[in-house]
Amino acid sequence: MNRRSIIVLAVLLILVIAAIVVYREYNRENADMINTDADAHVQASQLIAAFEKNDSVANLDYRNKILIVSGTVRSLDTSSDHHTIVLGDSSSMSSVRCLLDTKHIQTAEGLTIGTIVRIKGAITGFKKDELGIGSDVELNRCVVVRSLQN
Amino acid sequence: MRFVLLLLIFGYVANASAQNRYFTKSGKINFYSKTSLEDIEANHRSVSCVLDTKTGAVQFAVLMKGFEFRKALMQEHFNENYVESDKFPNGAFKGEVINNSSINYQKDGTYPAQVKGKLTIHGETKDVSTTGKIEVQGGKIQLLSDFNISLSDYKISVPAVVKDKVSQTIQISVDCLLEPLK
Repeated sequence: MNRRSIIVLAVLLILVIAAIVVYREYNRENADMINTDADAHVQASQLIAAFEKNDSVANLDYRNKILIVSGTVRSLDTSSDHHTIVLGDSSSMSSVRCLLDTKHIQTAEGLTIGTIVRIKGAITGFKKDELGIGSDVELNRCVVVRSLQN
Repeated sequence: MRFVLLLLIFGYVANASAQNRYFTKSGKINFYSKTSLEDIEANHRSVSCVLDTKTGAVQFAVLMKGFEFRKALMQEHFNENYVESDKFPNGAFKGEVINNSSINYQKDGTYPAQVKGKLTIHGETKDVSTTGKIEVQGGKIQLLSDFNISLSDYKISVPAVVKDKVSQTIQISVDCLLEPLK
């Protein structure tokens, strides 16, 4: 094999590798929480309090973070396309709303209201109460890490 | 005695007002961009909505980072480049059902609705008018509507390199099932 052929083959190989990398990046799905380390562990009540005290500061502290949130299940919405676990105290309308990753709904099996649970998810932000229905910290792509019966 | 009477009247009025309000925190909004090169779809599952059946006042609130895309790169571009969700984390609609008096919220049925109000996305607020349906069933109220928006109205700019893959007109679909606010 002469030198020119080797160069052509090397260029072709680089192009093929580049095409594969671009294809994989273009079709990449969001990181699966099952395999992703959390940036922080926090109690649901502390998380709500941090945002209600100063949401600008809390938004900077928690922006784009993966959190494990511990708290008591206040309500469950398991309709066909929702699967939301709400953590918080029933005496307040504010809560941490955890939208389950539809690929890992089974991690929430057996959960009931009052269960103490740890949920890992990506924080999407804080919805301040401007509609009279309480403030919420919201997480997406959630998986239940561990639950303890109350 | 007069004070007690005033308190009772106040409590009755406040309670009556609260029963006119219906809400959800898990409403759905989808948006859809269709071009010859690519179709892009995103879903939101945690839309907040409050409807006052007495006045027809209706409000929606979303966290822009709550829109879920199948492809991570699209979601990242949407948040970082298009809607700049770190700068403008919230989307909102505040308006009213114009034909509210023609809707009987006490009787199960499907009612056509005309809605107008102000839609805020990417820090820009525009007047929006649209039609939809209000379905009353078993004490719950479902709001359904489909309408289009232009990206340019909300100063959302698409990079030249992908301008043929993102439509300038986005189709939005709203589906919120409301329960009484107690």
